[in-house]
Amino acid sequence: MQGFIKTLFGDKRTLAVAGLSILAALAVLHTPAAVLAGLVLPFCLLGGAAYLARH
Amino acid sequence: MIPILLATFLTATVEWVEAYTIILAVSLSIGWGRALQAAGAALLCLAALTGFGSFILTRIHNLAMLQLVVGVFLVLFGVRWLGKAVARGAGLKKLHDETEEFAALRARDDINEARAAWFIAFNGMLLEGLEVWLIVVALGVQTGHTLAAAGAAIAALAAVGAAGALLRQPLARVPENVIKFTVGAAVLGFGTFWVLEALGYAWPLGDAALPLLFAFYVAGGLALIRLYTPKPKGAELV
Repeated sequence: MQGFIKTLFGDKRTLAVAGLSILAALAVLHTPAAVLAGLVLPFCLLGGAAYLARH
Repeated sequence: MIPILLATFLTATVEWVEAYTIILAVSLSIGWGRALQAAGAALLCLAALTGFGSFILTRIHNLAMLQLVVGVFLVLFGVRWLGKAVARGAGLKKLHDETEEFAALRARDDINEARAAWFIAFNGMLLEGLEVWLIVVALGVQTGHTLAAAGAAIAALAAVGAAGALLRQPLARVPENVIKFTVGAAVLGFGTFWVLEALGYAWPLGDAALPLLFAFYVAGGLALIRLYTPKPKGAELV
């Protein structure tokens, strides 16, 4: 069961990276600069991958 | 549809290669018949899970909600694989070595006990197959090509099975990290695209944004590998 849950959701760090990146993109979507959300999410996720590679 | 099939085929290839190493190690203890029986039982579980997962996801009639659910799972999967591939590519983590995995499995005390060995093969196949299942269901349901995605996963199984039957040794020469890097970037691209679209974002280039996202993650990942690779001593003096 643990393997199943880990496959679906990853570990805490992966969840945090994905969650924070999506929240950041959502926040930008509700500003006048909403068009930048298409850049914010990829850059946040790449930053997240950089963090996960280190940890 | 081709990118979906390719991503599924490559994901499945990596996972089936790892599963094959486990089956091979177990087969030396309990024979090919019992080892393949355990693998077959795990495959049946995965087929049932695929049917169940597709059934649940196709009950979601709100397209935005379906995109968000699938997108979040793909982002979780993609960012994990890309991070892992960057770490291995830069030498921060050891590359996955099937020969070493095989030796470690053969050194286990319980592998010579018939019942325990059967469960090692079953669990190994099931756990490796879960990532294949996730990709087949997520990409398949979202694009309406679940059967084709499942077909790509089965084709990868046939290819790995044929190579394994021919060589009868761990498939150590499969460039696992390159495949993980490529699939991680592709899956992260799909996930990014669908999550934002579900949140109401209109991609300025429409579907053409997908290859751009893939290129962005590949270029970014390669830059990270370069950044994280330790410089040889004295290189800073040059």
